[in-house]
Amino acid sequence: MKRSFLMVALFAGIGLAGCSAVTSGDGASDDRVQITYARGTDTTGATDVLVEAFEKEHPEIDVEVREMPSDTGESHNQYVTMFSGRSEEIDVFDADIVWSAEFGQANYVLPLDRLIERDQVDMDAYFPATVEAGRYNGRQYAMPGYADAGLLYYRTDITDQVPETWDELEQLAQENMGKEGSKFGYLMQAAQYEGIVTNAIEYIYSYGGQVLDANGNVVINSPEAIEGLQKMIDITNSDFVPNNILNFQEIDTESSFNEGNAVYARNWPYLNDTANDPEISKVAGNVGIATLPAGSEGAASSLGGWMRMINRYSDEVEASWTFVKWMSGEEGQKISALEGGKAPTLEALYDDKEITDVSTVLASEDFYDSLQNAIPRPITPIYPEISDIMQIELSRAMAGDITAEEAVERMETKMQAALESVTN
Amino acid sequence: MKQPKKRRFQLSERQLGYAMVAPSIILIAVIIIWPIMLSAWNSLFDYRLNDPAKAERISSLSINLETYADNRYLVYDTMEDVRDAMPDAGGTLDDITTALDEQHETLLNTDEGLADRYEEVNTMLDNFQPVNDEELRLVEVPEEWADGFANTLEEQTAAVQGLREGAPEEAVQPLTDLESQLSNTQGSILEPNFVGLKNYSTYLGDGRTWTAMLNTLLFTVVTVGVELAVGLAVALLINRVFIGRGLVRAAVLVPWAIPTAVAAMMWTFLFDGQSGIMAHYMAQFGLIDDPGALLSTGAGGMFSIMFADIWKTTPYMALLLLAGLQTIPRSLYEAAEVDGANKFQQFISITLPMIRSAILVAVLFRALDAFRVFDLIYVLTGGGPANSTESISVYAYKLLFEQQNFGAGSALSVIVFLSVALLSTIFIKLIGSDLFSGRLKQ
Amino acid sequence: MVKRAGVGFYIFLIIFVFLVMFPFIWVFLTSIKPQGEIFSSFQWFSSNMTLDNYASALETRPLLMYMMNSFVVATLTTIISIIVASFTAYAVTRLPIRFKGLILGLVLAASMFPQIAVLSPIFNFVTDAGLRNSYLGLVIPYITISLPLAIWILSTFFIKIPLALEESAKLDGATPFQTFRKIIFPLAAPGVFTTAILVFIAAWNEYLFALTINTDDRWRTIPVGISFYQSQYSVPWGDITAATVIVTIPIVVLVLLFQRRIVAGLTSGSVKE
Repeated sequence: MKRSFLMVALFAGIGLAGCSAVTSGDGASDDRVQITYARGTDTTGATDVLVEAFEKEHPEIDVEVREMPSDTGESHNQYVTMFSGRSEEIDVFDADIVWSAEFGQANYVLPLDRLIERDQVDMDAYFPATVEAGRYNGRQYAMPGYADAGLLYYRTDITDQVPETWDELEQLAQENMGKEGSKFGYLMQAAQYEGIVTNAIEYIYSYGGQVLDANGNVVINSPEAIEGLQKMIDITNSDFVPNNILNFQEIDTESSFNEGNAVYARNWPYLNDTANDPEISKVAGNVGIATLPAGSEGAASSLGGWMRMINRYSDEVEASWTFVKWMSGEEGQKISALEGGKAPTLEALYDDKEITDVSTVLASEDFYDSLQNAIPRPITPIYPEISDIMQIELSRAMAGDITAEEAVERMETKMQAALESVTN
Repeated sequence: MKQPKKRRFQLSERQLGYAMVAPSIILIAVIIIWPIMLSAWNSLFDYRLNDPAKAERISSLSINLETYADNRYLVYDTMEDVRDAMPDAGGTLDDITTALDEQHETLLNTDEGLADRYEEVNTMLDNFQPVNDEELRLVEVPEEWADGFANTLEEQTAAVQGLREGAPEEAVQPLTDLESQLSNTQGSILEPNFVGLKNYSTYLGDGRTWTAMLNTLLFTVVTVGVELAVGLAVALLINRVFIGRGLVRAAVLVPWAIPTAVAAMMWTFLFDGQSGIMAHYMAQFGLIDDPGALLSTGAGGMFSIMFADIWKTTPYMALLLLAGLQTIPRSLYEAAEVDGANKFQQFISITLPMIRSAILVAVLFRALDAFRVFDLIYVLTGGGPANSTESISVYAYKLLFEQQNFGAGSALSVIVFLSVALLSTIFIKLIGSDLFSGRLKQ
Repeated sequence: MVKRAGVGFYIFLIIFVFLVMFPFIWVFLTSIKPQGEIFSSFQWFSSNMTLDNYASALETRPLLMYMMNSFVVATLTTIISIIVASFTAYAVTRLPIRFKGLILGLVLAASMFPQIAVLSPIFNFVTDAGLRNSYLGLVIPYITISLPLAIWILSTFFIKIPLALEESAKLDGATPFQTFRKIIFPLAAPGVFTTAILVFIAAWNEYLFALTINTDDRWRTIPVGISFYQSQYSVPWGDITAATVIVTIPIVVLVLLFQRRIVAGLTSGSVKE
């Protein structure tokens, strides 16, 4: 047994050595205020540049970056765990645009109205939808960060025809499928996750349907919404999409499009970067972008992107606000755009040559228009529940278990029940 | 016979026994049993973190001073905006102010020192400090006051709505805000949200719970069954003497050594309908119609999850059984050989009975784990498509962390706990009664 | 049991091991493919194999630090858990204490509650104890989670050790604790090492608590660390497969070292008697 006891002793030694490191915190004892900024993993390195530039301008504030899971749902759940425990560990964080009402009502984040008013921040300078997404019940819980809007990608080496409507898309996808080794006419996101909701909203709104109206009433059971949904069902069940489209997320769309498998695809602006990178993509240089096809009532892009919020339990509110204000201001957004390719939420920045030179997306009129008309997802404190209901029923409808009519009826009943169970 | 005691102080055997049990029991009690009891308590409330009126467990009618003071400030602030944008609304606004002030005065007079507490909260809010102290934040209020306050708020909201007609453009936004703020003020009144067993009846009557339950049960039965059979075979195999046995043992354990979170990611890659090698080969060998079916259909999804779990966890089972095999004295086999029993007979009459307790422990703990399956499903399918692979833990997780419905999520967790407890009791009673009785001798 | 393995047996063995290892082999093969070829073909070997993914995996994230963290956390968990669990198992199987059934039942009940539901209370507990972003913050929950299994396995082993051995030790004047340390514990070595491997790997694999409790990169463990290779819309399979291969190697070595003990214990111990 001697040998194994030796091993145990060895392990214990390592363990203790490891433990002693616990106590050695950072002993920086200057007067700088330290705040912690949490955000999802950033592979572009833009965050570091951003923080550096800020610290240079505000030497009194020291920003520490804390990485959160890149999966939006997972980071949401981690914030919930932290804030419900009133943790003050994080001061500022990047929030998905659908979180504001929920986090606001849960008293996790600081309402910014008093600060915005005090410092006279011009909220009209931002795209309206990005401000609206951070507002609930008359309070502003978030500052716009960067924006995303759904775009249509196409292969310029296969076709120069850009479908104006969903009907045209069906026809063109069918016609062009198979050219240049492509296997599919169209790619989208239809797995049971948040993506199926953003996709469905684009169909529903482009035919004039709505999910919740301005007063928060459920209005999804309308002929327009049914028409939009039916179009989505037709497309997911057509033979020009992959037969495992019900498991497609952005990543699958990206890898398949970059492999040269598809003619058209719906995705966020980020795809433009990877699709044009010859290292990973076989279609580099042959990528075109356009607004999404229109239904009977015009085109609609779901609004995506991230906002900045301040933890309600933060003990460094002033420094946090300075940082948030700066990040959401021109300087911060410009760095995010130049270094990270993120689309600014300040309208004026699209006149800046430096920024439009970053990528064809930022230079594209179509993208600017998409942002201008982007549709935020329903703004309600129980958005996760609403989204969950939609994910399930949409997934059922796409799988052919229920019809479009049944789907909207079921969504209507369940959403109403969910909204009734909360007070506001 | 008794030896003289060597030391003066010595624990009796029984005392030593309790002392040796204590660390485990204390750890388990503090880290696990206490949270379980807390969850059970939570499950009796309509407890939702994203609803200000239900964000804490309230047993008597109270007011949340933090919400109240914050909204009161905002209401008065917004009324100024309305006044600026719409001068002729002045009269109505004065009425609203009077009504609200009256209620405010009454409130502050219901309890001695309340006015001071209100001031303290207000100061904290001005400094953007959270009011973490429950003693300061929550105040019990009489029912008459709460009723009267609710009435006032309703009347004033109606009055604000009345102003909307004919309001100039620039007054629309402040009016909308004012309305929201009045309704938010109502959210500061916390009604008792103890609901008894209502969460249970709601979720036990919900089809989704039962689907999740059945999915979980199916998953548990199939995976544990297959893992036991394959695990036993593997254990017998690696218990043999052959060249390179150590390597084979290590190789067989590799699947178990890959973290579930990583393995699940790996399987999404392997099962992928377009570029996944497993999906590709399965389709080529005619096991599935087309590679896309694996993760995008309910049956395919369930199969993929089970397959990945069996691949990953069989080594665990095999290792436990292998350890059990070690406790069989070789002399038993030698005796059987002398009696002329063949290998199969030896397996039935010696191996199986001798490793029975190892099998029981392995199956019991595997089943407990399988019934609580979470990561694998969450990463591979997220419960989809069309909820056909959702397990009860995944459902509970969605309720707890995505929807922040702590009451309902806790109720579901308690339901899982009770089902598992019931199943393991039956299991131990039916097959494993000697597990307990064996332990209890002495 | 006898050395009689023929060629057929080895062929079977090779096929079997290959099938079990296939997913891992594929991960390995993917890890040495260049970026552009990962999604494009079902070919086993790329014509231009590369170690770029390994370099990139080690460069983009502090993988070796994650390994160190995981190693320390899993080792501490294993040692403490084995000691505490074997105490309990010994007391329950050998010492005249009451409520044995209740103790075993309570211990078992602790592994019946969904872990996701104890996440919040444990997070709050660890935060209040000031143990966030430390090894202990993970070790304490991990020990507790692994105790039920460890206690039950060790009990099944302890109970099989002939009472006679203990009796004779008693006659020689050994205290119960000495009996435990010198006789029971060594004799149950196969059980102890099996439990050690199971506990170690369980701690090595744990994700949810590690993700929530240690949010600072300095203290992240492997499962969490590897999941951080991906960003919102991209999964760098090259990096991830390379990282998976790197972190699996030490486990294989560890198992190779430990697995001997599983078999060695009994044959050199109690059976001799």
